[in-house]
Amino acid sequence: MADGKIVAGFVAPHPPHLVYSDNPPQNEPRSEGGWEPLRWAYERARKSLDELKPDVLLVHSPHWQTKVGHHFLGVPRLEGKSVDPIFPNLFRYSFGLDVDVDLAEACCEEAKVEGLTTRMMRNPRFRVDYGTITTLHMMRPQWDIPVVGISANNSPYYLTLDEGVDEMERLGVATRRAIEKSGKRAVLLCSNTFSHWHFQEEPDIPEDMSKEHPQSYEGYKWDMRMIELMRQGKLREVMRLFPEWVEAAFAEVKSGAFPWMLAAMDYPDIPAELHGYGTVIGTGNAVMEWRLDA
Amino acid sequence: MAIVSAFLLPGNPLPALHPDTDPWQQLVEAYQEVGEAIRTARPDVLMIYSTQWYAVLDQLWQARAEIEGIHVDEQWHDYGDLPFRLRTDTALAADCVARANAAGIKSKGVDYDGFPIDTGTIVATGFIDPEAKIPTLIAACNLYHDFAKTEALGAVAREAVLAGDKRAVVLAVGGLSSNYIDHVIDLTDDHIAKSEDDAANRRFLAAIRNADQDGLRKAALDYAASTGTDMGMKHIAWILGTCATIQGADVKAYGPIYGAGAAVVEFRLG
Ligand SMILES: [Fe+2]
Repeated sequence: MADGKIVAGFVAPHPPHLVYSDNPPQNEPRSEGGWEPLRWAYERARKSLDELKPDVLLVHSPHWQTKVGHHFLGVPRLEGKSVDPIFPNLFRYSFGLDVDVDLAEACCEEAKVEGLTTRMMRNPRFRVDYGTITTLHMMRPQWDIPVVGISANNSPYYLTLDEGVDEMERLGVATRRAIEKSGKRAVLLCSNTFSHWHFQEEPDIPEDMSKEHPQSYEGYKWDMRMIELMRQGKLREVMRLFPEWVEAAFAEVKSGAFPWMLAAMDYPDIPAELHGYGTVIGTGNAVMEWRLDA
Repeated sequence: MAIVSAFLLPGNPLPALHPDTDPWQQLVEAYQEVGEAIRTARPDVLMIYSTQWYAVLDQLWQARAEIEGIHVDEQWHDYGDLPFRLRTDTALAADCVARANAAGIKSKGVDYDGFPIDTGTIVATGFIDPEAKIPTLIAACNLYHDFAKTEALGAVAREAVLAGDKRAVVLAVGGLSSNYIDHVIDLTDDHIAKSEDDAANRRFLAAIRNADQDGLRKAALDYAASTGTDMGMKHIAWILGTCATIQGADVKAYGPIYGAGAAVVEFRLG
């Protein structure tokens, strides 16, 4: 089979607050709402995803941290309860997801060809991280599209940033090759917050929006600058400024999902669609789309 | 005496999952020996700080009375499962939350079914008290707390234990040098990832043998400044804060775990 393709890539950040404020049946805690503009941004992204009719969603999450190698979910069905270790008051979510093991194995093999250390995750009792689950819930709450889940290898933290980004780019190229050979229509999800400066204490009512604002004006300005470049389709410029952005905004994109997705899409010079931007406990979150295939 | 004994213990699960692997046997034997000694001492509580339980907002303390389950580590998932059972001294945890808040360290208890207990805590309690006969007090490693604030946190826990007239054993669960080997190895070929890490680890372990409270603090801070260490050695700050009377240390075992440094150390208390 051939002619598989990446039909779109989304920046799809994972603050668990968005699931909490949505009050889905899978999540235990109840809220009065909150963060509506960001949730409406996700509503637009979901509509778009629906139109694309993908066979598979690939998600790279910074909260599945692996020190040795890039790991891929490799069990056909994973179920359980995911409790966020940082926000257990907001996120206690019963999940069940189907994995596209064939494509995961193909990505793993291609990454090996790129010289990366890789591993398949075959343990059926594995608990999927809350970043993966939040991104997938916000993009596709029906959970009816198989998933390839990819861990965040810590390389951008223990190598230099350049070396770490280079690894993520190679992972992106490997991912693209595996998708092309699979014959499938794939959507990539980069589960990253932009500016990651956040409050150090939680408001008494977490969803009290009178308390919500960017924690750092500097971080906010950097996010706007980068989003504007993405809206203009200037991804090479985005990557040129990437190290400065990571530094000045303490951006979560450092963990690798963002360069992975851009490299997999081969840095398309098309304008990105901003579905919306908002802060969550002070961090900057953009929901964005690059549509490669109508 | 309120604090009966105090230990530095590895939190990496590989020795527990593969106890017969050559380079880890020494660590496993030392761990088992420490477990035996602690069970014989019959303390009222284990005061645990694990570098693998991260907190970001507020200082978190485990507050659920009983927890059990089967844990799969996010990195070492293919080496096996870790069944666990824990019991919390909930009154002591609540007291620590109140005291820490009063001391200006904003704190919260966590009491949730399914809360992800960290691998380090599970490994340590698996060796020390697999049947959960001894209640625990477990404090998270807040990423924004520095060494001094973590020592202050330990001091808060110490006050609470003294006020409750309890006999406690302190467990600082974490590693030494934090660089892993970044490719697949035959486990029997395990070695410290970098020779400079090995040298720094050995220097640190030599420096603490006869170090008192100030000497241990200085050794830990110098060591953390010299090489990549597990969480800046804040688990040693927990030892300093909870014990307050360090007189030296006996290194029971030292070795690599997939390239990172690990040791079993018992601290001598004055
Ligand atoms: Fe995150």
